[in-house]
Amino acid sequence: MVTIAAPAPLARPKTGGLRLEHVVMGGAIASLIVLVVLPLLSLILGSVSSEDDGFSAGNFIRAMERPLYYRALINSLVLGAWTGLFSLLMGLPLAWAVSRTNTPFKGFIKLTASLSYLTPPFLTAIAFVNLFGPNAGLINNFLRSIGLDFLTFNIFSMSGLVLVTVLHTFPFVYLLAASALESVDASYEESAQILGAGKWRTALQITAPLVAPAVLSGTLLAFVNAIALFGSQAIVGIPGRIYTLPTRIYALFDYPPQYGLASALSLIFVAITVIALFLQRGYLARRSYVTLGGKGSRPQLIDLGPWRWVMFGFATAVFLVAIAAPYASLIAVSFIKSVGLWSWENLTLQHYRFVLFQYDVTQRAIGNSLLLACLAATLAVLIGAIIGWIDLRTRLTGRRLLDYASLIPLGLPGIVMAVALIQFWLATPFALYGTILILLLAYTGRYIPLGVRAANASLRQVDSSLEESAHILGASWLQTMRHITLPLIRPGLFAGWLLVFVPAIQELSASILLFSSSSITVAVAIFNLYETGYIEPVSALANINMIIIGVAILIANRFGRSPTGVPRSSD
Amino acid sequence: MARIQIENLSKQYAGGQMAAVQSLSLDIADNRFVTLLGPSGCGKTTTLRLIAGYLRPDTGTINVDGTLVSSPDGVTPPDRRGMGMVFQNYAVWPHKTVFENVAFGLQIRRLPTAQIRDKVMAMLDLVGLQGFDARLPGQLSGGQQQRVALARSLVVEPGILLLDEPLSNLDAKLRERMRGELKQIQRRTGITFVYVTHDQAEALALSDEIAVMHLGVLQQYGSPRDIYSRPANRVVADFMGQVNFVPARVVDAGKVAIDGGPAISVAVPGSLAAGSAVDLAVRPENIRLAATGANGSAIPGRVAELTFLGNMNEYIVTTARDARLRVQTHPTELFSIGDAVALEFDPRQCSVFARS
Repeated sequence: MVTIAAPAPLARPKTGGLRLEHVVMGGAIASLIVLVVLPLLSLILGSVSSEDDGFSAGNFIRAMERPLYYRALINSLVLGAWTGLFSLLMGLPLAWAVSRTNTPFKGFIKLTASLSYLTPPFLTAIAFVNLFGPNAGLINNFLRSIGLDFLTFNIFSMSGLVLVTVLHTFPFVYLLAASALESVDASYEESAQILGAGKWRTALQITAPLVAPAVLSGTLLAFVNAIALFGSQAIVGIPGRIYTLPTRIYALFDYPPQYGLASALSLIFVAITVIALFLQRGYLARRSYVTLGGKGSRPQLIDLGPWRWVMFGFATAVFLVAIAAPYASLIAVSFIKSVGLWSWENLTLQHYRFVLFQYDVTQRAIGNSLLLACLAATLAVLIGAIIGWIDLRTRLTGRRLLDYASLIPLGLPGIVMAVALIQFWLATPFALYGTILILLLAYTGRYIPLGVRAANASLRQVDSSLEESAHILGASWLQTMRHITLPLIRPGLFAGWLLVFVPAIQELSASILLFSSSSITVAVAIFNLYETGYIEPVSALANINMIIIGVAILIANRFGRSPTGVPRSSD
Repeated sequence: MARIQIENLSKQYAGGQMAAVQSLSLDIADNRFVTLLGPSGCGKTTTLRLIAGYLRPDTGTINVDGTLVSSPDGVTPPDRRGMGMVFQNYAVWPHKTVFENVAFGLQIRRLPTAQIRDKVMAMLDLVGLQGFDARLPGQLSGGQQQRVALARSLVVEPGILLLDEPLSNLDAKLRERMRGELKQIQRRTGITFVYVTHDQAEALALSDEIAVMHLGVLQQYGSPRDIYSRPANRVVADFMGQVNFVPARVVDAGKVAIDGGPAISVAVPGSLAAGSAVDLAVRPENIRLAATGANGSAIPGRVAELTFLGNMNEYIVTTARDARLRVQTHPTELFSIGDAVALEFDPRQCSVFARS
């Protein structure tokens, strides 16, 4: 519902010229242009220009001619497709179990899904290399030692890559499917039942079509996210000689960097992502029924009988593979002197001492990561709030365009964002490349859509008449914002802040191309340490990273929400 | 086409302290329009869902045409009861066209395609939706969706149709029109209608019988006229429209004396002994206003407020004992604020309840 009311035009003759809200709105629009639009344009420009012959499609032709590049494209698509499929096969049954059946320990299933989503995917990848590395993997070694060689699994393969990726992406299907299943009004199913349809028929003809858009949309999101994960594709893919678009683009920045080709590959990458997102949004927008229900009475839970323990077993298996095994291996490896010897004497804290106090990068990286994540989250939410406000509360010409522009980063995988920023800032006189500022620009730009979405959702809950009542009492725009709008949408903005903070503090895909030794982040430090082959300190640093993320979430939760869950009054 | 016998039915929700329905017994005759009436939380929807088979009773039984369908030991599932149900939010499936919505139940019953087509089209005609068969529910208004829901339930020719506040989401004008249509359809088809509402006017207008419920307990079951003019208790009297409670004392089985006023001849329930304190319940339209001194058995009072409502005047009259009585008169019977008046009750329209 688009509100037709413009902010009340208070006729105050003394402020004839520029007013504060115009400055603020202009600032938000300008930052969106600098953060997103201009870099994207220079990426497009860079892809069609080459050093020798001006404008040409040469980069695209080269990208599609040489197996080196088109195989990366095919690998990315294969990875995305398998990951989407397996995310569906894992996420949908879990969602159904939680929202529609009497499967026990639902809190545990929900926790498994959230933890899987929160765990940085490159840490899962490193943990699985610990376990299933072809030569030194702990489980592989164990299997060989008891003579079960045929059960060993080589993680450096497409199946391995799909495995570590799915563990991060299945929550997309789970979350969307669960919320759809929960919001289908019970009366839709009850009407089918009273007309004589049995449980299966009702599920197939009524429930399934109603939730299909959400499930499909979750699968497409899993696809989009899967192909963009640089970390796992570098850690698991490169040793197995499986190059994908992100790792191929990364390789193009080895000396001498091939900017034009990298831009062309990036744009092809963007095209895939945008098509998938377009399908996803179209699907959700046109065929979303789940919100149509009236009273929203809850459907009765299906009694699975003994099968509920089968469902629970499935959830436990997911937990073991996605959470328990990787964390256990990271923790275990971080405390032992050298892998392979298991005894009390072999326990040590030396790796923690090393990464925290001897490895001079770590402290700087932690500081940088915290600073970047806090600043990026704050900026993304602020800019998002203003853009959301312009879209919903003003009649500014082109505000829809602004809204679309703010969504562009959704279609830009992290590494593409980095390529675009490099292209743009290298062409300007500002020496941003290699500074912490360019990382901040990358993070803020990447996560603006999250900020806009959070602000939009909150602003829709606040009727514009609440703001208009303040205007009519003589409040200025700033006063209305300060006393009415912001306090009302504060809980939503806090949620949005956390939504940006969590991925920002584990960001790797864009950072990997943008960091320098002074602006290094934790994720990059872990990745570099891993590249040098020291698995024990890597595990220690990975655990420190998880502790930082966990503490940050706890603190943000503490400040963002009142204990009762209702918005706290501004005291 | 079907009789529903409910005996000693109780249902308690998990975690709830109070029973949603308590020892309910109700005999709904074939071919009747019966309304379950009460405020929200009175157990009327729970009763309907028990009849439909969505819930299993804690105690008691439900028989349909002499066949046991619900008991604490088990329920015939809704899909094998052959009933119809119209939900408050219509529950018209948004992913199916109007035709597909209405045809669904017939497809389940494996009717030949041609016959399904004929029946659906005839039914859409009946509910006034001819030409809408290819539309999706999203393109229909609330009233039209309501008709789809009705058509979908009626086309399978159920013996019993359950309706859960089906008119509450419609605007006033449409509600009145649909009210008339519902009543007509019930008369024409002979289907037993069980209708849930909290709107007493709707219940009075539609029903052959009304079951008034309060806090899970059946208060009174009878014809609209009975329920309105002979309420079984104070709760029913209060719920079925406006009522004045006038303090009085029992004189004998046929007479009560109004405190500070005259005695009135009225039927007194046998449980009330002479001398017990009671309330005389009298509706505003059953009080006559006259100029003072006209009648010895009248109560003296003074007009405190006057509201002109178009088809009537409504007065608030204060008596000598500071009681405030609401009185409704024909718009031509006009008194002014401050006028001394005499209040006369119609004794045949009064009820007597023990003082609470």
